[in-house]
Amino acid sequence: MSDKAEVNLSGIKQSQGVWLVKVPKYLSQQWNKATEKEKVGKLTIEKKQGKAEVCFSLDEQLTTLSSLGEKGTSLQVPRDHPFTMHTVGGQTLAVFTQNDTDEISLEGMVVQRAECRPAVSDSYMKLKKLQIEESTKPQRLSQQLEKAVTTIFKPVANHTVNVKYEKKKKLEGKMVRAERQVVLDKLFSAFERHQYYNIKDLVDITKQPVSYLKEILREIGVYNTRGAHKSTWELKPEYRHYQSAEEEEAMKTA
Amino acid sequence: MASLGSSSSSATEYTVRVPKNTTKKYSIMAFNAGDKVNCSTWTQARMERDMSARRMYGEEEMPEGAAGSEFGKKQREEARRKKFGIVTREFKVEDQPWILKVNGKAGKRFKGQKKGGVTENASYYIFTQCPDGAFEAFPVHGWYNFTPLAKHRTLTAEEAEEEWGRRNKVVNHFSIMLQRRLREQERGEEEEDETEKAGKKKKKKGGGRGGDLRIHDLEDDLDMSSDDSDSSMGEDGEGKSKAKKEKEAKGKAKKKKRKSSENEAMEDSDDGDYEGLEVDYMSDESSSEEEPEKAKPSKGEEHPKGIDEASESEEESEEEKQNEEEAKEEDEEEDGKKTPVQMEKKKKKDSSGESDSSDDSDIEGEAASALFMVKKRTPPKRGGGRGSGGSSRTGSRPGTPSIDSAATSNTLRAAANKLEQGARKRQPQGPGTDTPAAKRLKMEPSSQSPAPSGKSTPQPQSGKSTPSSSDVQLTEEAVRRYLIRKPMTTKDLLKKFQTKRTGLSSEQTVNVLAQILKRLNPERKNVNDKMHFYLTE
Repeated sequence: MSDKAEVNLSGIKQSQGVWLVKVPKYLSQQWNKATEKEKVGKLTIEKKQGKAEVCFSLDEQLTTLSSLGEKGTSLQVPRDHPFTMHTVGGQTLAVFTQNDTDEISLEGMVVQRAECRPAVSDSYMKLKKLQIEESTKPQRLSQQLEKAVTTIFKPVANHTVNVKYEKKKKLEGKMVRAERQVVLDKLFSAFERHQYYNIKDLVDITKQPVSYLKEILREIGVYNTRGAHKSTWELKPEYRHYQSAEEEEAMKTA
Repeated sequence: MASLGSSSSSATEYTVRVPKNTTKKYSIMAFNAGDKVNCSTWTQARMERDMSARRMYGEEEMPEGAAGSEFGKKQREEARRKKFGIVTREFKVEDQPWILKVNGKAGKRFKGQKKGGVTENASYYIFTQCPDGAFEAFPVHGWYNFTPLAKHRTLTAEEAEEEWGRRNKVVNHFSIMLQRRLREQERGEEEEDETEKAGKKKKKKGGGRGGDLRIHDLEDDLDMSSDDSDSSMGEDGEGKSKAKKEKEAKGKAKKKKRKSSENEAMEDSDDGDYEGLEVDYMSDESSSEEEPEKAKPSKGEEHPKGIDEASESEEESEEEKQNEEEAKEEDEEEDGKKTPVQMEKKKKKDSSGESDSSDDSDIEGEAASALFMVKKRTPPKRGGGRGSGGSSRTGSRPGTPSIDSAATSNTLRAAANKLEQGARKRQPQGPGTDTPAAKRLKMEPSSQSPAPSGKSTPQPQSGKSTPSSSDVQLTEEAVRRYLIRKPMTTKDLLKKFQTKRTGLSSEQTVNVLAQILKRLNPERKNVNDKMHFYLTE
């Protein structure tokens, strides 16, 4: 899907500016669980001695963490999160959005950067401890088996796979030489579909013994010894009448 | 929603919402502050994904069915890749860079590359303030760093390497791109001859070289700004081409000088050069004189020590050996070698004594090192022979100088030639003038020495030696003083009576000192394998 190229610049004209806030993972997880009201918390902005202090406090309902794994007790996620404000010094940040329909619009410029930090509390420490435990668990475990595996590598008179194969072969029977004309027809129809064929594939298609097939092929075809299609058979030039893709399309449209 | 003034301080509360059902995906567009991008000045912008990487990821498409295809090709390719464990990365459209074009054709262009690792450990949210005062937070899905793209033409990698190699020569850097543009134009003209674009062809020809109007097929690359610069470059280029030529000429001259200086440096520092010279000498006469030569090199290798051996040979009365060797020498062409050796030795001593030692002397000294090795004995023996030789020797001696002189001249010339060649690169004239002078110098002492020694041979002198007055007299008294004070080797003694101060040539010093020592007949002792003389009184 190609994106529509034109960028909608209306947003940037209107907006006064947005904030870019870095939020810890657990908090964003809680936010995702927000109800339909969509309210996740409160943002308190205070002006103390010229500096603005921003603090975010999470909603009550969202503080309970769903149990991680098997732990029964659900932890409390800390509620208060002061924001650390930064300037947008070394970079000019703009925000753009992409639609489902791949329309791009420029929403606004970032005027303030912030980091959401949790106010350190016991519950936060416990939460972090859990997280660390989880992350240090190895992804792959070594398990000790009580008994050695004995289901394989027993000596067998004939493997099941082989047995099946032989049965199948018997059913099919030996390949019988069909009429020359019949085989030729089959070959021509095959070469209509593809240009190059391996001898094995041709045997499969025509169900003829190899020597007989080769005889016929030598009559109508040529064997490529080198090149891109190495060791493949193709029809002789006089028998070929392939059309390139373009011409085929032209034929179709015409 | 509601703004509650809760506490005493001027705090305001805002609700934060995280909208759920938004279809929009938010991303960050980051520009470097130095590029001074002001989005509000943009009148128009177009942004597309840069799909140029798809070619790399997409395999060569074989025609499916009909012409050119193979039966079961795809499966075979897949099986082959699995067998070798080749894992091809998928081409994800989401991860492709953006191309942003601002303000149409004449405006800027940016490329936005996705920054990885943004959403891994922490999430970014965009807080926007709604009209109702509440904040809405949207998660950020991607971060793209946008960098401005160069509009001007750049050199390709091969061209850049070429220019790098010529950076010392080329002064006029403007002409580099100008030439490239002209070349492209010519190429473009050739191509167009083949195509049917007659109209464009005319236009191009009308454009001309360095002209103001230049219509180019690559619409995006050539822009107004570069056209302006082209015309100005054209003018500048002409003006500067002269300067460039001059400078190039200068550069070449400098290069030559540099080369020559490098050569000189190499000549100076390369000791190995003279080994060749030595070999030449040895090869001339070595075949005939291997035995005595073997004996001589084995004894000692430094020419200044000739005096040591001289005195040793005297004191130890190796007349027999000397006789043998002298006979051999006279028989064969060692004579030729003797005097060159002498000459070299004297020269060396002179030069070292006078400390005018130019590079010539170094070369010549080193060149003659083999000679010295070959004929170490000869100079000392001459002195020794003088001292202790009998009439037979004296008789032979006058002969020898004449023979010597005759033979010497040939070999001296040969030696001089070779030395000249060695030192020619640096100072073509120096060796030429020096060697004849040296020759003369050597000839003189060589002819002189037998004469005075002839006089002195009959009996020991009165104690006064020939040298003229100077700061330090090489007298028996002086020598005696030294030897009484402490045991000294002949080398040490020589050092005391430097040629500079006594006014004697080194050869003379050697001879005189030898005589004095003979007269004094000091006691000998071996200290550190060296023969020291001392007197006790």
